[in-house]
Amino acid sequence: MKPKTRVHNREVLDLEEAEAEFTQEEEIDPKNGGMRNFYCLPEGCVANIISLTSPRDACRSSAVSSVFKSAAESDIVWERFLPSDYEDIISRSSSGSRSSSSGHHLNRFSSKKELYFYLCEHPILIDGGTKSFRVHKSSGKKIYMIGAKELSIVWGGTPQYWRWTSLPEARFPEVAELIRVCWLEIKGKMDTRILSPETAYTANLVMKSVKGAYGFEHPPAEASVKVTSTTDITTINTDDGVDWWMANDQGGRSVYLDRACAMRRHFQLAPAAVAPHAVRNKELASYGHGRPTLLTRWDIAGLVQFPWSRGDGWMEVEMGEFYNVGGDQREVQMSLTEIKGGHWKAGLIVQGIELRPKNK
Amino acid sequence: MSTKKITLLSSDREQFIVDEAVAIQSQTIKNLIEDTVPDEDGIPLPVVHSRILAKVTEYLTKHANYKPHNDAAKEELKNWDVKFLGKLDNNTLFDLILAANYLDIKGLLDLTCQAVADLMKGMSVEEVRKLFNIENDFTPEEEEAVRKENQWAFD
Repeated sequence: MKPKTRVHNREVLDLEEAEAEFTQEEEIDPKNGGMRNFYCLPEGCVANIISLTSPRDACRSSAVSSVFKSAAESDIVWERFLPSDYEDIISRSSSGSRSSSSGHHLNRFSSKKELYFYLCEHPILIDGGTKSFRVHKSSGKKIYMIGAKELSIVWGGTPQYWRWTSLPEARFPEVAELIRVCWLEIKGKMDTRILSPETAYTANLVMKSVKGAYGFEHPPAEASVKVTSTTDITTINTDDGVDWWMANDQGGRSVYLDRACAMRRHFQLAPAAVAPHAVRNKELASYGHGRPTLLTRWDIAGLVQFPWSRGDGWMEVEMGEFYNVGGDQREVQMSLTEIKGGHWKAGLIVQGIELRPKNK
Repeated sequence: MSTKKITLLSSDREQFIVDEAVAIQSQTIKNLIEDTVPDEDGIPLPVVHSRILAKVTEYLTKHANYKPHNDAAKEELKNWDVKFLGKLDNNTLFDLILAANYLDIKGLLDLTCQAVADLMKGMSVEEVRKLFNIENDFTPEEEEAVRKENQWAFD
């Protein structure tokens, strides 16, 4: 048969005419270009498609068919979900770590999917044990925790104020326990290039209070998170002269570090509250779910943060958030202070500051 | 200015005459031009139907003639791609993936795979089967096991 000819010009491509021609002359032929079973889409294509979805979609698609399962579990897919520099990060994991998650063990995984989920559930210590790294399960983005040793803690080197201790539930060899200070100041910083680009992050102080903690009732601590160019580092704004609950105007926020102390404060402010001795039993129950329901003037518009249980034996409080554009060298600076009350504060254990993608 | 023309022959023996610069964006066609003596009617592409080859050449013609040199031009090309995809029904989209895979056209493969991936996001297992027109070849026990293994994705 004599072939039909269709000329494709450089400049003009009359699509509408071409399409009209199609609909007139072509019935859909099941043998050629029409309806058919896509079962025959090569596994490589299916894997490519799956790798462009998300870890959750990929796992779900395993249940579609055997070809999908094989594609959805392939290394091609999970290599793309892992951070692009995961191999470099793993190579920086410290062999001297306390856990079994040191670098050489990470070769034992038979698949990238297995490695992905391991890195989601098991933070690995990197850079000489000063930071930990893990993967955010639903996005594959990078989560770091800066260990207390790597933070700058005012009076941190003076044993009568802070002491360094080792806890079985801590991921770092040492955590900082506050004996007592009046001047509470903790700062941390990180080069933003090691974070996932184009990602909204939150910075969270990971800590817990010990029994008998005191001094955190009022005022709450001030937290701030800022991203600056490293060539033009500006000091963190502590907006003196503005009342502490207005700190948000400068991008800072007020945070309570201890639930029990925060609750005591609330009950003092609410005269109709139950007798003080009943408060201790009630406080944890009423803070167990959701946002605190007590109304105080410091809870306006959710500007005050309260600590939450992380589910790993630690509490955390969100210090602030920032958007990491990526690319240029920048530094994210985090600070937490309570220096206005002037009274003694005691009984806080600080594990570190965690930077992780903001949940949508 | 005269440019070398290449004739492509679809599975239903329809000829498509395009500039060589357009055609060789396909690595497969490039190899065929270099390595084989062409059929007198053109380079045979036995797995690509004329209905799909028309779309492929439409894409290749646009991308060969359009080398983005600034952000505005890149944006324009991106908009063109979006419009191009918007005109395709799902069957054509899948056929284009097969064609782009066979012809080894990275840009078109990425574009079409991303389009299907976007359709797939958030879909239930049943919806994915329907989209891909796939039969479930698991036994109920096997499927239950896979679901259990990936429980977090179903929560």
